[in-house]
Formats: sequence, C-alpha cells, structure tokens
Amino acid sequence: MDARRASLGTLALFLVPALLLYFGFIVYPVLRTFYNSVHTIGPQNVQKFVGLANFTELLTDDPVIWKAVGNTAIFTVIGTLVDVFGGLLLALCLFAGAPFARVLRLLWFTPVLMSYVVVGVIWVWIYDYDWGLANVILRAIGLGAYEQSWLGDPATALGSVMVTHIWKWLGFNMIIFLAALYALPTEVLGAAELDNCGWLAKLVYIVIPMLRPTIVNLLILSFIGKMMIFDLVWIMTAGGPLWSTETVSTYVYKRAFDWNTFDLGYPSAIAVLWFLIIMGFVTVITRLFRQREKLEF
Amino acid sequence: MTEIFAPRHIAAMVLALAAGFWLGAPRAHAEDVTLTVWSHEADEDAKVAFRELAARNLEKAHPGVHVKITWYEKNPLLAALKTALPAGQGPDVFYVEPDWTEYVEAGYLAPLDDLVDWSNIQDWARQVWVHNGKTYGLPQEAYTNELYYNKDLLKKLGFELPANAQFTQSQFLEIVKKAKAAGMTPIAQGVGDRPYPGAYIVGEALLRKLGKADYEKLFTGKLSFTDPRVVEVFKWTKELVDAGAYPKNFMTLKLGESHYYFYSKPLAVMLPMGSWYTGRAFVPVDKGGQPADFPLGIMQYPAMDGGACNQCKTSAIGASFGINAASKNKKIAAEFLNAMSTPEMGQKWIETIYLQTAVKAKVDNFTGPHAAYFTELMARQKGEDYFVGGPLDMVTGKCKDTFGQVMNAAFPGGLLSVDDTLKQMNAACFKG
Repeated sequence: MDARRASLGTLALFLVPALLLYFGFIVYPVLRTFYNSVHTIGPQNVQKFVGLANFTELLTDDPVIWKAVGNTAIFTVIGTLVDVFGGLLLALCLFAGAPFARVLRLLWFTPVLMSYVVVGVIWVWIYDYDWGLANVILRAIGLGAYEQSWLGDPATALGSVMVTHIWKWLGFNMIIFLAALYALPTEVLGAAELDNCGWLAKLVYIVIPMLRPTIVNLLILSFIGKMMIFDLVWIMTAGGPLWSTETVSTYVYKRAFDWNTFDLGYPSAIAVLWFLIIMGFVTVITRLFRQREKLEF
Repeated sequence: MTEIFAPRHIAAMVLALAAGFWLGAPRAHAEDVTLTVWSHEADEDAKVAFRELAARNLEKAHPGVHVKITWYEKNPLLAALKTALPAGQGPDVFYVEPDWTEYVEAGYLAPLDDLVDWSNIQDWARQVWVHNGKTYGLPQEAYTNELYYNKDLLKKLGFELPANAQFTQSQFLEIVKKAKAAGMTPIAQGVGDRPYPGAYIVGEALLRKLGKADYEKLFTGKLSFTDPRVVEVFKWTKELVDAGAYPKNFMTLKLGESHYYFYSKPLAVMLPMGSWYTGRAFVPVDKGGQPADFPLGIMQYPAMDGGACNQCKTSAIGASFGINAASKNKKIAAEFLNAMSTPEMGQKWIETIYLQTAVKAKVDNFTGPHAAYFTELMARQKGEDYFVGGPLDMVTGKCKDTFGQVMNAAFPGGLLSVDDTLKQMNAACFKG
C-alpha cells in the first residue's frame, strides 16, 4: 500500500518536529525582528513601543547607513553581473573543450569548497602591502608604482573585497552552467551545425536563450546573497577603512553588538527595511522574467 | 508496510527511544554543581593555564563542584553573551572588561560586594568596577600603556635613552625620521583587528598635553576636539604619520602580527602596546614569541611641549570576571573568583604571564626568566601619575565607532587631514 496515504496522526508525527523547528528558528525570529523594530529594548528586556521612531532616525539621521546602502548596492550590482556572466564564460570555455579542462574545472571550483574565514584570511595576506602576493607580482613585472594598500585605502578596499568574493563564487556558477550546458538537447545544437551556424551565432541564438532559466535563477540567487553579504567583509575589513566597505549587514551587526547597548530595536529596524527592499527587488526581477519562464529558486 | 506506520507502532518506538535516552543518561548526584564560565583569551596559553588551574583548585577544595570553562575570542564572546543573557541562557561567570558598562546597566551582572573576598584586590582596581556604589566585576589583569623599543636599533640610530626614559616630542619625531631614512620601520603598529592600537601615540600625547581632567573631558564629550591643545597634538601626530612612522600595511596588520613585526620580522624600532605585550611575546619562539636575545627596552611616551602632565600614564584594568545576576550558583561562582585572586595566584600570574595584576601580590621577590624585563617595567612606573582607563573605556555608540574608524585607523593610516579628523571626531563625540 502507498505509504503516502498514511493517517493524519502519522503525518503529524513526522511533520510536527520539522514545523516546530521551522517556526522556532525561521518564523519566530522574523516576526520578532518586525516586533523589535518598533520598540526599544531596555535593560532586562523591558520593551517600549516607539512606533516608527527607529525608522525615522534611520532615514533622516544616520549617515553611515547610506554609506552602507551605497556600498551594498555597488557590491550587489557589479558582483552579481561579474559572478554570473563570468561563471558562464568559464563554463563555455570548459564546454568548448579547452585544454586541461578537467584540471581547470577542479581549480576553478575549489574556492567554492573553502569557508569564508579561510578565503578571507588568504586574501588579506594576498593584499598585504609589504609581503602580499598582489604587490609582489606588481613589483616583479615592473609595475611597482601601482602597489597599494589594497584593503587599507578607501579607493580600493571595496573593489578588493569584491574580487575576493567573485573569486570564491565564480566556480559555483560555472558548475551550474556547465550542468545546464550538458543538459541542452544535442539535436538542436546538431541541427544548428548542419545549418552551418557559427559558434557566435550558436551561442547568441541557441545556447543563451536555452540557458535563460538558469541565468535568471543564478542572477536572483547571487543578487540575494550579495545584498546580505557579511562574513567576508567582516573578516577582511570589518567595514573599514572609513566605512568604505561597510555593508548593511555589517552595520546591523555593529549596531546590535558593538555599541554598548542591548537595544535590538534600531538594528532590527535596519534589518526590516533591508528585508523589504530585497523583497521589492526580487519581486520586480521575478515579474520581469516570469512571463516567459517559470523561476525555480 | 502500512502496519509499520501505524500510530501505535510509532508511539511505541518513540517511547522506547525516550526510555533509552533516559536510561543512558548519566545520573547526577544531588550535591553536584557544574559552574559554567565563559572566558576570552583562548589564544593566550599562559592565561588559559592560569584560569584552568584556579578551576581545578576550586574543584579540589569543593568535591562535587565541576568548573567548565568555555574559551572564546573577544568578538564571538560578545556575540554569545549579548544573545544568551537576554534569553536567560548565560553562564554563571563570564569575562568582562570595564568598558562593557551595558552589562551593568542592563542588570546582567550581580553586585559582588558581599560575595567576593576583596581583601586580596587592590582598591584602585576595584574602584574601576564601582557603579552607583556597588562593585560589579572582579578585576584580574592590570596594565599600563607602554612604549617598547629595540635597544640595538635605537643605538644604531644614534639615540640614547634619557635618564628619565622620556624623549621630547621633537626628539621623538627625529627618531621617526632617522629610522625611516635608515630604511627601518619606526613604529610597528596595525589596526587590522582591533579598534584602538592606532590611537596609542596620539592618545598618550593627548593625556600628557591636556592633563587628566581635560583628557577625560575630551572623551566624555565635554571638551571640543577643536581645543587648540588638541589641535597641536594632532598636528604633531600628523608629522609623525607623514614622516612614515607606521608600516605601509598598518591598516591590515593585526595585533598579534604587529608584535611579530616588532621583534622578529622585519623588525621595528618601537611598539606602543599595553603591558600585556608579554602574553604574546614571552612564549616560545616556535609559537611566535620574541627571540631570547631580543634587546627589549621600555621608554616613556614622549613629553609634550607645554604638557600639563608629562608624567601621566594610562593604567587600566583589562580582564575581569563578573557573576551572572541570574546564576543559581552565585556563592560557588564567587568562590571561583576568589580562587583566581589569592596572593599565591597573584604571584603565579606575574611569574607566568609577566603582567601586572589587580591582585595584591608580592613583586619584590620576583624571579623567573624574564625578571629583568619586569624590573624595567616596574622602574617605568616610578613617579608616574596614572589615569585609569583608556579612550575606549569612555566612549560609546557613534563616538566609539568613529574613534575606531577615524582616530584609530584613518588618521594614523594617513587617510585624513588633521582638520577632517577633528571635524569627524567632534561631530561624533562632542556634546557641546
């Protein structure tokens, strides 16, 4: 007999633990964050309703948040585009049978398997002014004039963190694209070849249109991930120098844990506002693409 | 197949599992108490050994008591405390520092006045933890802000330490310039993982220039950063920065790395640091410690022209411990604090950690491989007028954040002019 037709009691027995965990660790914290955002939390968890005061202060009297929003926006837009289309290029490179493809696939994918902490520490060393690989290479090829304190200068810090982030995630997008490329119907590609279709035309008119759902999914996933970027920035720069790499998430953390206060009201207000902004963007992107393709993420 | 999923079978399985867990769980004796302690400084072996020793001593003295210390680094500890305490899940005893005043204000620390034996603690150190007439923390580590230097390199540059071990501000600038010209790094310092080391030089200069009262006013928002004396100090510091006082990797160099930079590779003439320098330096060389023959010296921070208190020095309390106000084991928690604070343990602290302590301990019969260092450290304390607490003990919120980003990092990192620095500090800290 079909096990899926189990009794309600049996279903409940299996579902309730998972639902409890879901409500305890996902739904409750989200609702609690919304609740906190309209309160100040005083000593001994004494809560005072303040309405939209936290949001008003956030929008009118906090220059750092705007810096954080700007940095996160730059990180998200540039990072997402480079991440996704860079991953596509690497996948195409392997799909086309580049020499040493197996080795390259391994090399490009390895950073994905490393934790942010390891990646962050490695790249802080690479960027070190005195003994970092980046400056050593520049000096070695006669470009010593361009050596930088990559993470120490506000002009280069954000870009440097972005390079690290892209280095870590390019391989992930590459693997997804590679899987999608191998799943393309060979008869379509074969027919194109029979029609003497060049590689560029094949790419533009056949491959990319057929990869469209994958591209859209990766764009959205990458977009959401970068809007919430925290770990790597925290490890590499903690938002400095001069807030030049401050992101919304690092600022929320600082306001929650570094400001000699237990008040989670204000940081919750930032989190709520940012949540709504992300939701808005995701909705817009989804609507833009959903006429043609069903998204899966 | 369906039979297996019948509710009565599943209920029986759940009951059997629960019974198994219950039977398998170790039975606790009624008199057993497990005291939970959360401590920072996981990476300092000598301090780990010291506190573990106190725990084992307590267990010996109180059979049935078990002390479980969880070791953290500072930021993870802060994050854990700030989520656990409001949820009522904190440990019995936890590491605190005097500037963590929010724990006192929020009522998460129990008053220790009637719990702890204060006869072994120096009174000035206890005062650091007194808020509204009650004492909330047991101070353990005391330290002073010192200016360490490499005796050989200073000699090579042609400078000799004055009798009072204090150069003038212009002599100090000269040392920096000569060191730079000789291809040496004048001051090993980095702000890669801490919000304060970059402000040692400017902070100590401000203390000497302004004197204790005005220095405190500056960091509590009662004195403007545009005060002419403050401006003078920042201009002098800017001269140091422009002369190349700090390493090029200043912004990313971490605290531990700055120690290594100073005494091993590539070497530097000076290292401004709290006297807890020893925690990292006096470990075996293969663990990153300073070489046995390293010519370590200690000088006073430079005297400022027209300084109100050139004999002033920052003294502070670092590592301290508090008892969770919600703990059910307050008495035994207090016993643990007492076990760390006996005169014998104070002596042990000095002999193994080579650092001052808030515990009353004899230092005149100090022995050990670094006796000469400790003698020099004590000599540098003579005749000094102490200001208790550093800037981070006085600033909070936006001012604290700006201090970390601007005064600690961007200004000594050469990213900001004096005017911009003072403007940003004033906007964040001065209350008018």
